[in-house]
Amino acid sequence: MGEPAGDPLELEYAHGPSDLRLVRQPGPPGTHSVAATFVAPAGWAYDPPRGEATARLAGLLATSGAGGRDRRALARYLDRLGASLSPRVDPESAEVTIWGPAAPWEALLGILADVVLRPRFGPDDLARVRRQLLERQLQDGAQPGHRAEREMLAALFPSGHPYRSTGVGDRASLARIGAASIGRFRRAHFAGPGCMLVVTGPVPLDRLRRVAGRLFAELPSTGPAPPAVPTPRPAPREIRIDLPGTAQVEVRLARVSIARADPTYPAAYLANEILGGSSMLSRLYARVRGRDGLAYHASSQLESMRWGGYWEARVGTGPDRWRRVVPMLREEAGRLVHRPVPSAELATMRESRIGAVRLALESTAEAHELAVDAAYHGLAPDYWRRWPEVLRGLAAEDVRRAAEAAIDPTDAVTVVVGPVGRR
Amino acid sequence: MERVVVPATLVRPPTVAFGLGNGLRVILAPLPESPTASVWVWYRVGSKNERPGLTGASHWVEHMLFEGSPRYPKGAIDRAVAEVGGELNAFTDYDFTAYYTTVPREHLEVPLAFEADRMTRARLDDAEVERERTVIRSEREGNENWPEFRVEEEAMALAFRVHPYRWDALGWRRDIERLSPAELRAYYRQYYGPRNATLVVAGGFDARRVASDVRRRFGSLPETGAAVDVPEVEPPAEGERRAELRGPGTTPYLLVAWRAPALDDPATPATLLVDTILGGGSRLFGPAWGSGSGEHPSARLYRALVDPGLAVRATCEWQPRRYPGLFSVAVQAAEGVGFDRLESEIDRVTERLARTGPTSAEMDDARVRLRRGATLAYEGATRTGFRLGYFSTLRDLALEGDLFRRLQAVRAAEVRARARELFRPSQRVVVRYTPTSEARDG
Repeated sequence: MGEPAGDPLELEYAHGPSDLRLVRQPGPPGTHSVAATFVAPAGWAYDPPRGEATARLAGLLATSGAGGRDRRALARYLDRLGASLSPRVDPESAEVTIWGPAAPWEALLGILADVVLRPRFGPDDLARVRRQLLERQLQDGAQPGHRAEREMLAALFPSGHPYRSTGVGDRASLARIGAASIGRFRRAHFAGPGCMLVVTGPVPLDRLRRVAGRLFAELPSTGPAPPAVPTPRPAPREIRIDLPGTAQVEVRLARVSIARADPTYPAAYLANEILGGSSMLSRLYARVRGRDGLAYHASSQLESMRWGGYWEARVGTGPDRWRRVVPMLREEAGRLVHRPVPSAELATMRESRIGAVRLALESTAEAHELAVDAAYHGLAPDYWRRWPEVLRGLAAEDVRRAAEAAIDPTDAVTVVVGPVGRR
Repeated sequence: MERVVVPATLVRPPTVAFGLGNGLRVILAPLPESPTASVWVWYRVGSKNERPGLTGASHWVEHMLFEGSPRYPKGAIDRAVAEVGGELNAFTDYDFTAYYTTVPREHLEVPLAFEADRMTRARLDDAEVERERTVIRSEREGNENWPEFRVEEEAMALAFRVHPYRWDALGWRRDIERLSPAELRAYYRQYYGPRNATLVVAGGFDARRVASDVRRRFGSLPETGAAVDVPEVEPPAEGERRAELRGPGTTPYLLVAWRAPALDDPATPATLLVDTILGGGSRLFGPAWGSGSGEHPSARLYRALVDPGLAVRATCEWQPRRYPGLFSVAVQAAEGVGFDRLESEIDRVTERLARTGPTSAEMDDARVRLRRGATLAYEGATRTGFRLGYFSTLRDLALEGDLFRRLQAVRAAEVRARARELFRPSQRVVVRYTPTSEARDG
């Protein structure tokens, strides 16, 4: 196999059968694996009426057999190839990723094509994944972290909004969804327009085009229309849920925020990183944990998606400490909105985030995540290569303004879940 | 016939290993094309070295190593790593404490500098220790929100009455409340130092230059840090031990566990096959991507419990340790299924393996599955640093390859004999967790 040289930060885009978008990313130097993800507009935003959880069920069934192989035969074949298959579903999309040694990459893509075009599952498989989702529903109610997320989303987004739920449905909807409706859902959503195949590894684009053309030739050529997305206008409020017997209180401070396509996204991303991102230097970590010792985890995240987004600060703290934590979250988020970030702090965080992209290039798996992200959001082929200059071009005032639009906690919702006792 | 791609030999990068006069062991793994470099320091101290009253000390010390040393006051390590675009973290286990930092390759000197500084000179100031107390309490409370943590902690406490594996690395809550800064400093002085550590550096660098840098930075450190073996040997149990817990949760959760061999025990390869045939995989040689719970649809437990609708998850949990630990079967019940039914199925499955052994197809598939985990185990500097450090800390670098070779030679009869030895009812521990969810919306 001729290995094409290339920069993993430079993607190549092409068209496959039925408008399938093909994205090729050279593998990072020194790696010997390939990762391929098929992305379809099949998230739970597209769940049919009275069929909440259809997307999740379809996603879980992705590893239940494909083509001529049932679940066990598929797993055995993957073992022999040294490969793994992982499905993932979010509000907007469904993904299936295969990862394994580079040498049999065509066989791996063949499995992916079978999973997409020829899913195979029986009544027992459907019953099994229903039980798994039912347990997840219970977890959304009983586990403080899960419950806090559920309550937060429901408080931020109005009825009918794709981000309002966690996609697990309820007991009644799970019982209603049958094999036929899952089949219909798959046929309608795993179709060329809106779908993409992202491949990372030593695979030349012309061969990828040929192989994908053959493997995905049966892909239907009409895809779903995007769902309606009502405008969220949440009112600020505090939601408190007492879960007796739990040990830790989960706190969320959240608001509706910007979409990924928003031009201020890089500045908002940096603002969130400064406030509560992955570094131990973030302000929330430094104050809530580092200075005051109030929590083990204190962070924030900006979830910017296609149709919108939300921002949340998250802290897990003791039942005797949460009341001190909530105003701190508001204060720190407010400080970011009202005062420019000192230049030294901005420079450090900027370099930290630029470095994160370098670190992702140590394995195919991590580099592939960058490619899927860029492909899904329709970013330029050299988006990640230009990322350092984009971040270095941001001034403190850019970050402050972006924080004002994306993070300002004035109208934020507060959610507190755990052993908080009755009011 | 389906093509088999997974290799029959372990593919591991070449290494350079040497020792310093003060006892520090050093392993370098140059990966010429890697854009990153990963520095790992493994200390052979973990909760196994603690005693009642001092439980959780290893984990607490781990936290304190980010809170100040002579050249790196509080926050300086985080800043130094962030400025060069790196990432860092640490974790504490029963057997070891490990610190890692991965940076773009040209900044390798940054983690080497602070690791040398904090190896023997971390401050552990009174005020910082006190502030960290609530952080650690909070970490423990976060874990307690998960039934799996409560159940595993209870199982270890039931199974071990003498050996220090009987408490979790997070420590008992009452010890977290009372441990003093002076005790923590004494613990740090006793166990931290070159004699009790292994430095692993993996990534894009020139081995000769880095070896020289390591000698310069670490060679002058005092010869401290005691590698202390655990003298206590857990006697055989005189019968089955049981516990019933109640708390927030979803559906009943059951853990059944038996005494398991240590990592370097001759019985470990056959036990890895028992683990794979019953549970679907192994933590030592598991797939690196999306490994999840390790469930596999061909695994016997999965077929007996998940397929017929008795459980939503059924896995084996076995982390081979420095000393004999526990081999567990963990089951999350399907709604409406009771503990007795789950237990009787687990009995049936384990007894059958002990009575009739695995089929030849199962043996073949299990070997392939275990080999598969090694296919890409060394992709990337961070993962390489982890694996080299893990095996060299728990025993030595050769152990991984040795285990891998021996796995291929294990016969079905040995797996049957191993299952017979492992699944003795008198050595069994059973923990049942009954959910009592009741939410009150405010």
